[in-house]
Order: sequence, then structure tokens, then C-alpha cells
Amino acid sequence: MIPTQRFDDNPCRPRHFKPPPCTAITPDGPAKQALEACRTRLRVTAGLFALVFAAVALRIVEIGAVGGGTTESQIARFRMVTEPVPSHADIVDRNGNVLAATLDSPSLYANPKQITDAAQATDKLVRVFPTLGAAEVHAKLTSGKSFVWIRRHLTPAEQFDVNQLGIPGLDFEHEERRVYPDGGLTSHVVGYTGIDNAGFAGVERALGDVLRGRREPLQLSLDLRLQYILREELQRVVDDFTAKGGAGLIMDVNTGEILAMESLPDFDPNHPTAVDPGHPAIPLADRMFNRITLGVYELGSIFKIFTVAMALDSGTATVTSTYDASHPIRIGRFTISDYHGKHRVLSVPEILMYSSNIGAARMAVAAGAQTQREFLARLGLLKTPKIEVSEVAAPHYPAKWREVNVMTIAFGHGISVTPLSFASAAAALVNGGILRQATLVKLPAGYAPQGQQVISAKTSEQMRRLLRLVVEHGTGTMAAAPGYVVGGKTGTADKISGRHYAERKLLSSFVGVFPINNPKYLILTMVDEPHPNKQSHGYATAGWTVAPATSRIIERIAPLLGVQPVDESSPEVQRTLMVESLQGKRIEAY
Amino acid sequence: MIKLGTLFWLALVSTTGFATFAVKYGVQSLEDELNRTRRAIIAEEHAIRADDAEWAYLTRPETLDEMNRRHLSLGPIVTKQLRTTVTDIPLRAAAPVPVDAPVVAVGEQPAESAQPTISASTIEPPSPEKPLEVAATRALAKPEPSRRPRSLDELIAQVAASR
Repeated sequence: MIPTQRFDDNPCRPRHFKPPPCTAITPDGPAKQALEACRTRLRVTAGLFALVFAAVALRIVEIGAVGGGTTESQIARFRMVTEPVPSHADIVDRNGNVLAATLDSPSLYANPKQITDAAQATDKLVRVFPTLGAAEVHAKLTSGKSFVWIRRHLTPAEQFDVNQLGIPGLDFEHEERRVYPDGGLTSHVVGYTGIDNAGFAGVERALGDVLRGRREPLQLSLDLRLQYILREELQRVVDDFTAKGGAGLIMDVNTGEILAMESLPDFDPNHPTAVDPGHPAIPLADRMFNRITLGVYELGSIFKIFTVAMALDSGTATVTSTYDASHPIRIGRFTISDYHGKHRVLSVPEILMYSSNIGAARMAVAAGAQTQREFLARLGLLKTPKIEVSEVAAPHYPAKWREVNVMTIAFGHGISVTPLSFASAAAALVNGGILRQATLVKLPAGYAPQGQQVISAKTSEQMRRLLRLVVEHGTGTMAAAPGYVVGGKTGTADKISGRHYAERKLLSSFVGVFPINNPKYLILTMVDEPHPNKQSHGYATAGWTVAPATSRIIERIAPLLGVQPVDESSPEVQRTLMVESLQGKRIEAY
Repeated sequence: MIKLGTLFWLALVSTTGFATFAVKYGVQSLEDELNRTRRAIIAEEHAIRADDAEWAYLTRPETLDEMNRRHLSLGPIVTKQLRTTVTDIPLRAAAPVPVDAPVVAVGEQPAESAQPTISASTIEPPSPEKPLEVAATRALAKPEPSRRPRSLDELIAQVAASR
């Protein structure tokens, strides 16, 4: 290889400054390989660095421009404080009154190691909590532990008082607690909760999933004022007639909303297991029993409204039809007789008015077992009712529908249904024939759920006239609330005890609707085992027990519900309520 | 030149570094303040919830009924209190003459007894068949000092009878 000599631009330069006669060394063999490896490594390293920086740059662009990443800090101190969602939403009535609320309930504990003067602290604490034993508190405060509970679930006022004491070493642990400001008033509807606020009964249990983790309160269809009036009047009946219990409900017949529902005796949901100081003898199970939804009863004569409606709707009878009620019916070992016996042929309105068992039985037999069963099934009386409380019971009815069953079911014996099912079905009879499911949740104003037409509008109108007749001239005269045009039906059933009917054990009930010429509200009241008293002249039947209560309830609630009183004797009202077949006839008192 | 470039970059790095830290601490203190405020709001909300429940407890129907019984004695509204039209409202009664009032000549007291009738007529819809003069003269003709109404119902009944 010929060495190339670069052109020397400065010949005067000293020699040692002269560029050496050099050329690019192109090593061969191992040296060349080592050099190449070095270069490759450099490139790879540079590439990796470039990649990492590119990733960082891209991430910065993403965070800054695209909006990726989280704003939540990883450091606890800078994390956003979020409002803890109460474990269960509040429950309010239709006017927004609180029925159940979840409250932060502080519990007081002490760190005895930090307490300087245990005797003084004990003295102060006992003054705030008089129920605490001084010796017990002192023992806790001198125990030498670092944590002792003093008292759980304080009220805000108590917490304030403890803070006022200013004792060092006392502190609060925050816990949640479900409170029911109205106590026993709505206990059977709202229910109660146990540890961790899990629902144990009523709406709390049935709608537990809805309530959990929800912020807005759940609004029930209940009206607290109506509930109070219903409960007070029922309690009065129970006390007056020394009854075992009572129950009642107020329902909007056009929507199925339940405005009040009460079962007596009841319990305090704040302390469900506590003994009622007023009635210590009543067992807890009895107080927790919801007679409206969980109790199934042979409701007796109020069931005759279904028999009459069935006969009218199926066409086997008209308002002018007559049935022979002059003699008791003997079938098998049963004898069907009348309580208010007339011993003659009775027309359909008279059967309802005088509550004739014989007439109702004959009417049902004329319609037939198949018709009766189908009719009751259509009204939803043969299936378990659906409602927003967890306690519901299935009806009891004969598996084989024989003639004797047809006869007894006609006047409400041999079939047991919940008062709730009865109320829904009765509402359908008067509201134009539309069966709607009863609900405890408030519906939007002016909204009526799609119902099921179970009887014709014409039959429904006839039923309204007949029910008015019962209150005007029949067994329910004491339920009249002048001005509010009440219609209804009494029912007094003998209770089954063991395998026989007990003569002296009655279940008196009354179903009332007002104003019957334009039905708006239905009231069902019943009293379990009433005993006659002096005011009732020895009677404990529905006409003397729950019918007057219904009258009082209607007079009190109608102004709250905005129902205008009318002149009942005015021709316009009379025209909507007259029963043609009785026109001009003398109606004898029952 | 090289030194100037280095200085520039050094200045840029320290400025950005300082700015970053300044922004970071600013954000932290703002977050602290935000959290303090949120805690205060939550505490306030809890207090409101407790107050709501307490209000519900204090205004439960049972308590209101008891307080009414003790302080007001109001009864339920009865049907006859619910008048639906203006014509249902009774006329105001003529002022009853006191029993021990001095007996005066018939013609001397028109101003006293006629006035209430006139004021009542202003709320009554026009009823030409019952002129004021007739009512006034009837009141004048029969003073009836002995029949003094004892209750509101009686008073209303009297007025209704005199119409």
C-alpha cells in the first residue's frame, strides 16, 4: 500500500508540527472486531436512552395535553376527603317527615392512662349519665388499660355535655346508628334493623338493597298524620273492648297506595326487644306480628261483597234477583243460619244490607264453584300478595272446591286471606273494576299504575250503590260520617280455635269507602277478639266496634285529605246512590 | 460562548426547578385547604342530619297531640266547620242587647243595632228580596233583651231564624 502524503499548506512549519505522513488505519482481524462491537454497544445504549426519554416526553404530553393519569394523590394527606355514604338511605313519609334516619352516633371511650384525676372524672361523667354506676366508671378509669368504653351511641346533646366537661383522655369513636324518630307509630311498615344496620323486618328488610348505598331518601306512600289517627282510633277500640289486637289500613282506591297501615300491638323499632312498659304481658312475637300482611283471617261477612259482585258480574243475578233465606241451610254436618235473620225471601240488596249468610250461600251456589273460584283468583285473593314489606303470607283455601266450600266462602268462612289482599280486591270493586297492586312507595302525583280490569265498570257502580245502602240502612249505620257519603260492609267472624269455631272469639271487621259516589279512599279496620262492653249493649260485632271507629277516622282524615263534605240528602248525591229495585219500598231496620 | 450557553441552561434548570416546587407546594396547600373545607361541610351535613332527625322526633304526631291538649285544646275539624261556598257563611249576628241595659225608647237606638246588619250585608251576595230596612225595623220592633245567646251555635240559630 502506498502511503499518501497530504498536501502541506505551510512549508515553514517546524517539522514536528508537520502532519505525519499518515492514513486512516483500517485495522484488520481482532482489532477490527473489537471496534465494531464497541460501536454497536454505543448505538444500542443511545437508542435505549432515547427510547426512555421519548417515553417520558410522551407521558408528559399525555398528562398535559390529552388528560391521562389521575389527579388522585398517592399520598394519604393529599387525598380528597369524600363524604362517607351513609350505609342506608333515610326513609321519609309522603310529606317528607323522617321515618328512619342513619345518624352518626358517637360512642364515648376513655384512655385511663391519660386520665389524671379518676375520681373527679367519674363524678363529672355520672352527672352527665345518671344511669351509669359511679363505682363501675371509677373502676374502668383506674383499670390502667389504654382503652375502655364508657358509653355507646350517644345523642348529640350528650356528646356536647361530655365535651363541656373538658376531661382529657376521653374521646369519641364514630359509629352509625339507625334511628326511628316516630317509634312504634310506623314500626310494622318501616320495620327495624339489627347490628350493622341490616334490615330485619318491614321495608328495611324488603327494600334493603334499594336503601343500601343510596343518598336520596326513600319516600313511602304513608302519611304520618293519617297513620297517627288510624293508630289512635284502633287503640281506642282495642282498649274499649279489651281486645287482643287490632289492625287497619287506609288505601287510595285509585292508585293502590297505602296511606296508613297499622297493626296493634306494635313495638318500638329503636329498641325492638325491649318490653313495652305499658303492657308488659304481651309477648314480643305478638307485637312484631303484622296482622295486615302476615296474618291470614277468615274475614266473615265482609267477604259477601265479593259474592254479590261475582253474581252481578257473571250475570247469574241482577239487583232485583231474590233468594230464599227463610230457613237455615243444612249441608253435611253444617247448618248455615243468619245472625240478623229475616226469615223470608230476600233480594240481593237486602242480602248485603242485613248480611244474610243463607242468601249469600244460595247466591254463590247459583253461580257455581268454578265461577266463584275463578272470580276470587281474578281478584288476587288466591295468591300471596306483593308489597314492600318482607312479611307476607299466602292465603288458605280449600284444595277441592266442594259445594259446602262454595257456601261458606260466600260469607267469608273456609277461606283465609290477608287483610291486605282483601283491601286491594275491595278497592277494585268500587273504583270502576280495576285491580291495582297495593304499594307502600309513593307514586308520582297524578300517576295511576296500569291495573287489570277484573269486573265491569257497571258492576262496580252497582256495588257502590249497594255498599252505600249498608251504611244508610243496614248493619253499618254507625260507620256513617255525615257529609262524607260513606259506604261499606261489616263483618263479624267466629274465630277458629283448634278444629272448631269458638263462639265467643270474634274477629270484627269493617271495610269502608268514602266518598262512595266518587270513591277515593278505602279504610279497612279489624279488631281481634273484642269483648262486649256496656256502651255497646253487650255487642262486640263489627257494627258496634269498628264501624263507629271508621266513622271517627273518616271525620278526622277527610279534611286532611281535602275531601269536601257534601249534603248527602241533595238530589245530585241521591241520584248517584239510589238502588232502583228498592225505590218506593219501605226499608225495614235490620 | 460556551460559558454563556452553560449559564443559560443552568439558569433555565434552576428556574424550572424552583417553579415546579413552588407550584407543587401551592397545590398542596390548596388541597389542604380544600380538604379542611370539605371536612367542615361533612361535619355540618352530619349535624343537619342529626337536627332533621331531632326535629322529626320533636314534631311527631304524638308530641304535637300532647302539646295541643295541654296548650291549645284544638279538636278535629267537624263537618259543619267546612263551609264550601260564600252563601254558607252565616250573617253576623246583631249585637245582643245586655240584660241590664237601660230601657230606652224604641226610636233612639238605630245606630247601635243597624250597624252590624249593614256590615254583614257587605259580605253577603246581593239578595234584593231581603232589604236591609226590613231586617233593621224588625230588630228595632222586637228588641228581645231576655234572649241572650249562650253559645255560638245558638247565636247562629237566632240569626238564621231572624232572616
